[in-house]
Amino acid sequence: MKLIRTVKVKNDLGLHTRPATVIVKMLQSYKSSVHFTYKKDIINARSIMSILMLALRKNASIQITVEGDDAEETISALVNAFENQFWEKL
Amino acid sequence: MDEIVKGLSISQGIALGVAFHFIIPEELIPEQIISSHEIEQEIERYRKALEKSRRELEDLQKLVLQKGSFEAASILDTHLEMLKDPMITTEMEKKIRKNQKNTESVFQKVIGEYQRHFNENHDTFFQERIPDITDVSKRILAHLIPSKKFDLKQIPKGSILYATDLSPSLVAEIDPEQIIGLVTEAGGISSHAAIIARAKGIPYVAGVPIDKLKNRSPLKMIIDGDEGIILLAPTDETWENYERKSKKKKAYYQTLQKNADLQPHTIDGEEIELYGNLENLSEIDPFIKQGFAGIGLFRSEYLFFTKKYFPSEEEQFQIYKEVLEKLPSHPVIIRVFDVGGEKRLEGGKTGEANPVLGCRAIRFLLKNREIFEQQLRALLRASPYGDIRILLPMISDISEINATKELIEKIRQDLKKENIPCKDHIPLGSMIEVPSSAIMADVIAQHSDFLSIGTNDLIQYVLAADRSNPVISHLYTPSHPSILRLLKVIITAAKENQKNLILCGEVAADPRYIPLLLEVGIRKFSIAARHFPEVKNAIRNVDLKEKKKSPPARITR
Repeated sequence: MKLIRTVKVKNDLGLHTRPATVIVKMLQSYKSSVHFTYKKDIINARSIMSILMLALRKNASIQITVEGDDAEETISALVNAFENQFWEKL
Repeated sequence: MDEIVKGLSISQGIALGVAFHFIIPEELIPEQIISSHEIEQEIERYRKALEKSRRELEDLQKLVLQKGSFEAASILDTHLEMLKDPMITTEMEKKIRKNQKNTESVFQKVIGEYQRHFNENHDTFFQERIPDITDVSKRILAHLIPSKKFDLKQIPKGSILYATDLSPSLVAEIDPEQIIGLVTEAGGISSHAAIIARAKGIPYVAGVPIDKLKNRSPLKMIIDGDEGIILLAPTDETWENYERKSKKKKAYYQTLQKNADLQPHTIDGEEIELYGNLENLSEIDPFIKQGFAGIGLFRSEYLFFTKKYFPSEEEQFQIYKEVLEKLPSHPVIIRVFDVGGEKRLEGGKTGEANPVLGCRAIRFLLKNREIFEQQLRALLRASPYGDIRILLPMISDISEINATKELIEKIRQDLKKENIPCKDHIPLGSMIEVPSSAIMADVIAQHSDFLSIGTNDLIQYVLAADRSNPVISHLYTPSHPSILRLLKVIITAAKENQKNLILCGEVAADPRYIPLLLEVGIRKFSIAARHFPEVKNAIRNVDLKEKKKSPPARITR
């Protein structure tokens, strides 16, 4: 199954090291392939260095593409993490 | 005259020694062609370097966790993730195969490109990520080129090390008996190296131009981490003064230590139990030395404030497990996240008109199930490793205890299905800090396995007085009759239901209140490690039999 969603970075500091670590660690429990598309760049979301290279600031809008058997769980976990600002604000 | 250089205090303490200039020689990496039959060998060499780097980082992480440096541990977490990054693993291997060059040169090119990318395209904020990448790449390179490793043992004993900058792994390796102080030009209070230096108790001053020290060896120097200064070529007088200061400090600690070995009982022989408030994992050893009864209050949220996000179940599990493994025969009472109100993880605004009466502690957790479930799961998973007990903050009604019990039961079933071990019964306690639960203490006690009184909040709620407000802080009186009456109610409820009762809060650490608290019937206190000697001393000076002869006048005043 292939799913595509658009999310916004809500963290004040953008998608910096901590959220990037959260994403990569989170994805380790899912099997699907996950890509982020931002402007012209398409990167593997399991690569922390690639995520950091996108240098996503607050309010940047990115497209998440998930493909695999557990695509649904994967994408909802990711969207939830973006929504909750990677729990930085709680 | 002493030459005093003002810097930035990074780690406290005083050391007297000889300056040692620390330089790591930069090596040029030659590019070599690798023949195709050697490629697999080359890749194997690279994999081994990654594996060694991973083990090194994991060891370092364990070390900083032991010292309670959670900030450093979380940064090392990122470094570990970088080692697993496909750009570092599969992509690199592809490049070695394609270019047929030695790994070092390929690796440096990849990292170089990455650094250029950051430098050229983005703002300063993302450029600050470069040190992390450089740190990781240097670590990997050190395993590819063995000569890059500097042997710290070559440095003479009693040296004060100075350098432009120090890497965290280097500071982690230092033996504080051999290298007694650190001075750098770069580096700030929250750098990784700083965090580790503090954890190891090595005096450290940063912000010192190292040109002032260069080419002057042998140079006697004093580092005063308390003041954030260094003294170069001090006069004999200054040297002796500092020597005396340093000895005095040590003597003071020794006196306290002597006191700490004594048992906490009253003159008439009533045994009192002293539990520890754990805020930092490095405090466990002092607690053991001071003969404590167990951890009375482990403020789980404090450990994670530096993280700015709620730690994953796995991260929590590792920490809880570590504490339990260190204390296999002591009860360890872990209070679930007491956040919300003023204790926001990032100090952000809650948007509540009245946050102290708002959605905090157990209320917050029951509203944010995911966070609560994650923590409970981590606690349950850790339960087989010791005597874990769970404490619920800000209980104001038994419905909150019941809801938590249901949640715990559900998680226990989940774990069973997943074949993850978990104890059948984990004591669940309630924090009595809201007047409603103090008044209903008997009912709360029936539904709890133990009780814990949080005096800080209880006093402020009962007297409706914010102690941080200077205009009314005189109303915040821990010995107010209303408080003592309520304490009596709680003590009676605990006794009648045969439940343990521990008193936590600043009052417990104040020797002036100890006689009064003993008199109303408190027998268990939970305090920070640094208060043990004083509180023990106070307990040992109370005669409860003597007190019984006179009526408890204070309560009806």
